[in-house]
Amino acid sequence: MSTHHQKLRDPKFESGLLVVGKDVPRTDAQPKVTGASQYVADLHMPGMLYAAVLRSPHANARILSIDTSAARAMPGVKAVVTGEDTAKRKWGAFRPDLYPLAIGRVRYVGDEVAAVAATDPETARAAVDRIVVQYEPLPAVFSLDEAMAPGAPLVHDDAPGNVAHEFAFERGEVDAGFKASDVVVEGTWDSIRQWHSSLETIGCVAHWTNNRVTMWCNTQTPFLARGRYAVALGVPEAQVRVIQTEVGGGFGGKSGDDNCSVIAAILARKSGRPVKLIHTREEEFLASHPRMPMRYWVRLGFSKAGKVLAKEIRMWADNGAYTGKSQAILGAATVRHDALYKYPNARAKSTLVYTNLVPTGAFRGFGNPSADWAVEQAWDLAAEKLKIDVVDLLRMNAVEEGDVSPHNHKITSAELRQCIDKAADLIHWKEKRKSKKDGYGLGMGCSIHVNGRRSFGDWDGSSAIVRINEDGRATIITGEGEIGQGTLTVLRQIAAEELCMPYEDIDITRPDTDVHPHSLGALASRVTYVAGNAVKRAAAEAHKQLMAAAAEQFKKPVDELTIINGQIGPRKGAESEFKPISAVVRANIYKRGGEAIVGVGNWDNPSDFPDHSRYGNESGAYNFAAQAVEVEVDRGTGQVQLKEIAAVVDCGTVIHPSAAQGQVEGAVVQGIGLAMIEYFDWHQGTPTDPQYIDYPLPSADFVPKMHVAFADSYEPSGPFGAKGLGEIGLDAIPAAIANAISDAVGVRIYALPITAEKIHRALHPALYADEDKTPPAPPKGGVWSRLVTGRPSGVRPSQPELLQPKTLDEAVRFYAEGDTAIVSGGMSHAIRRERTGYPQAKRLMVVSRIAELLKIGIDNKGMLRVGAAVNQQTLFALPKLREQWAVLAESLDAAGHTRVRQMTTVGGSVGPLIGGFDLPVALVGVNGRVVTASPAGQKTWTLAEAFDKRLAKDEMIIAIEVDALPARSGSAFHKFLPRGVMETPSANAAATVTLDANGKCITARLVVGAVSWKPIIVDLSALTGSAFDEAKIRAAVQPVRNLAQPMSNVRGSAMYKRNMAVEIGARTLIRAWQRAAQQK
Amino acid sequence: MLIKFTLNGDPVEVHLKSPDRLLVDVLREDLQLTGTKHGCGIGACGTCTVIIDGAPVSSCLQLAALCDGTHVRTVEGLDQAGVLHPVQQAFINKSAMQCGICIPGHVMQCVSLLEKNPNPTEAEIRESADSVYCRCTGYVKIIDAYREASALLKKAGKA
Repeated sequence: MSTHHQKLRDPKFESGLLVVGKDVPRTDAQPKVTGASQYVADLHMPGMLYAAVLRSPHANARILSIDTSAARAMPGVKAVVTGEDTAKRKWGAFRPDLYPLAIGRVRYVGDEVAAVAATDPETARAAVDRIVVQYEPLPAVFSLDEAMAPGAPLVHDDAPGNVAHEFAFERGEVDAGFKASDVVVEGTWDSIRQWHSSLETIGCVAHWTNNRVTMWCNTQTPFLARGRYAVALGVPEAQVRVIQTEVGGGFGGKSGDDNCSVIAAILARKSGRPVKLIHTREEEFLASHPRMPMRYWVRLGFSKAGKVLAKEIRMWADNGAYTGKSQAILGAATVRHDALYKYPNARAKSTLVYTNLVPTGAFRGFGNPSADWAVEQAWDLAAEKLKIDVVDLLRMNAVEEGDVSPHNHKITSAELRQCIDKAADLIHWKEKRKSKKDGYGLGMGCSIHVNGRRSFGDWDGSSAIVRINEDGRATIITGEGEIGQGTLTVLRQIAAEELCMPYEDIDITRPDTDVHPHSLGALASRVTYVAGNAVKRAAAEAHKQLMAAAAEQFKKPVDELTIINGQIGPRKGAESEFKPISAVVRANIYKRGGEAIVGVGNWDNPSDFPDHSRYGNESGAYNFAAQAVEVEVDRGTGQVQLKEIAAVVDCGTVIHPSAAQGQVEGAVVQGIGLAMIEYFDWHQGTPTDPQYIDYPLPSADFVPKMHVAFADSYEPSGPFGAKGLGEIGLDAIPAAIANAISDAVGVRIYALPITAEKIHRALHPALYADEDKTPPAPPKGGVWSRLVTGRPSGVRPSQPELLQPKTLDEAVRFYAEGDTAIVSGGMSHAIRRERTGYPQAKRLMVVSRIAELLKIGIDNKGMLRVGAAVNQQTLFALPKLREQWAVLAESLDAAGHTRVRQMTTVGGSVGPLIGGFDLPVALVGVNGRVVTASPAGQKTWTLAEAFDKRLAKDEMIIAIEVDALPARSGSAFHKFLPRGVMETPSANAAATVTLDANGKCITARLVVGAVSWKPIIVDLSALTGSAFDEAKIRAAVQPVRNLAQPMSNVRGSAMYKRNMAVEIGARTLIRAWQRAAQQK
Repeated sequence: MLIKFTLNGDPVEVHLKSPDRLLVDVLREDLQLTGTKHGCGIGACGTCTVIIDGAPVSSCLQLAALCDGTHVRTVEGLDQAGVLHPVQQAFINKSAMQCGICIPGHVMQCVSLLEKNPNPTEAEIRESADSVYCRCTGYVKIIDAYREASALLKKAGKA
């Protein structure tokens, strides 16, 4: 399998490839670890202005008027633009339906209405708040069902029924196939929006000179972006130059569908100065183009033996308010999977539906994750029904080299069976199947992806230039671009191999549309395969020219010459006979009629432009993956723990092993995020808290044991046999997890996200029988408040005063004067709240330098006393804390990472008296006290009492006190995070138990937090005198269920939280009891 | 408001435009040190992590005014005369980066851990790495880089 791609041009290749397949240092590594890489937000130009955007607070509304006069009058404001300043031209990749700035109408919360450029970011944001827009709100559609209902309000007047696009096909004899089937399975699966959440948001710096605009963009696709931005700006393409900056994460989200860059250019034109516009994190959630959700009905028919005979799909996709690339995503999600297994007959109809929600777009997988979410679960259902192990069923039907799909997808290389086998081996599928443990389950999912896709016209090619220079180095000139996936490195490896030159001697350029040959950029897993082939051809041409020059200079035929370590000379010649490449190139230039050595390579994907029914071989090659997942499901909470994941990919030859592994590892983790972590609450068409609080990302500790491997594979049309692999690792992960959950506890999840609550509900329906189904109240606070109160930017109306008292008395006096927020650690609520829209105090008071508040210690009676300004890390690190008060240590451990503990203080955590914070719940759990101070003096009272009576307005917490626990005591704390990543808990609990010498309970205390406005103290007097009895403990905890008054939100419904308050409370109390029992 | 602090070993003075100006803005805008990145602005992602007096801090929530008199270290201060810090070298050796935007945060977080704890356990490494988001790598190689960094520091006699 690996011999036919070795080159025979040089004896060195007889023993294999020199650079391809090696972990050479990444081209972009050093600048990235030193902070030298220039991302778009890092650019600074003389005279540069900063921009901010005013967005629609309505999901659907007519704009009656826009008054920008107050904004324009602000000092420092240099330009204010609205739709009137634009070419009023709609744009979009496939269905132009988006204005750069709204014209007369807004269609989703976040739609761009106006924008400001000012001399600093704060002024720009403040000016945005002064633009007055009068809207006439219109009825809106917030779901597929609402959008498709008869007589539904129209998102776009020219799209009747809110249908943006629709297509259908039938290949083969589908009805006959189902008729012949012994087993038929069907189901409907729903997927959700997922945000790219690149840690760098979308941004642009634009500058007009000589009637041309240069746009420095973090785009994945500089040339495609240039073409679209020109349309949006209403200027010829020749007037737009796009230069790609370092790209801080793409995943499809930076592929030229954004209004951000266009608005930057409009402001730059109006102001005559360079303008920088960078999405805030919030804006990235409100107005980037997340993954498109689909409702996917699928039916599969099989023979008794397990051979697939027919497939039918009916699919509806939520386009959001504008189309972007969603039309193409609809196509991919409908046809692609038909080339994964040997489907003889397939029928489908798919509809793209407008809604008044954030527009969707390309995201790693391009529709396939939603298709796989449905179809790979349907295969799992079929395996159950056929009583065939799913691994065997998938294997039996897997596509093979030489197959042609119903859509004429030609499979030139396919090692899907090898992927399935390896994935099963790596996770020990067969062994685990034989000895199934309760709550454990296995699942598998497979996927197929393109390597480039003919989408933007009848060309999916690439052009590259390779120069061999008079300095002995070679330069690859390509406009394809690096977005972190390793393009620069992989293309250098390909060129080095082809040129027979050292990798270190090859340079590569970054995209600039003025300089480079036309390129489509980083999308559709195409760069290694398509651009790799173009670079390889260009390198081969340059190599040919170099060898011809050498032949002339050495007066020997080319086949008698060789390149070794950057030197050219006769084969088997002495070292002294060799000349450096630089000398050969220089001699070829400096002669009468001399020529530079420049190779040009063009390569077009051997694919077909699909017709209106998506018939046609989309790509010259296809990559494959099989993924096996093992989960453990906690029946008491529904929580899923990922134990192991095996991901095996067929990407042909692996050019850079660690970069390839990184692509798969990263894709798998994004797939996990899609499956079970990344979602937030919505209200009236907008996420209520579009930030990493409600929408966390998978973090390092969440990642399960991962086995990544590659199939031994070779693609004849790929460069050195390589195919792409950027997307394939994500696609089947959510389905594989769902299949594993079904295997573990028999619960089948049909709608993303997979939540602990959905599983818990399915396992314990009786616990939800008395559920109050009142819809939740509108949210308070956060971005929601800012949007509805017309102060969207969140910028402070005026500068605060900073107070730095040196003594406690001074601090108490300042605080009593009112309108003062306390700042101590850094990650202060005062700062954080202000940035997320809470009322803003006029004065910030720093208390971190008051010696009295920084004291910490345990006195000779064993009492712990901690000053309010002590940071949580200092308390956490206190010797004896864990030994004496495990509940406190565990609450601090749960509260946040080391860095967060470093930035949060004891007073900052306790002072706001919030019933779900970890440390205060733990403190109430040990009946801790607070010392408060006001002008009236100091007072020491229990924290429980403080929660009941609240602090007076002029009263601040200055210390906490905790008594030593009696002998034979145990304590415990538990923070329940159903998503498994650090966030606000759905419930937390603290327990303390003291036993007598016989192990009977003297006192037991349980406090449950996060399910009420204050911690709930549970009456456990029934346990006094009892020995350990789990049933009795669980019974004693039951009242929490009715005492809890939780709110439904992204962390669970009120009913789920009630149930978890009981479950987590019981578990925590049991742990504390067990610890007490271990004491002597 | 004028503050004075030590930045990567050098004394600096900064006039704060506003008393609530944040350290990340002082570094990136006032001092043009753009190696420290801005990710979320609410202390959740860790991309903006710097080290103040030996402790890791999210510079997006750090009032610059409170940095008066402190020692602040950013990613730009790690290499010595062009020789990379072992933690930086470890991230290169393990290909522990893709887009790279989070890497200065991860590097600084890793430096702060290893300076206090040169031989971290697997759990301590995971806890530390867990505090900085990475959207690209899936963290496997970042955790590898932590282990490699610990080994390189030992080799260099710095631990």
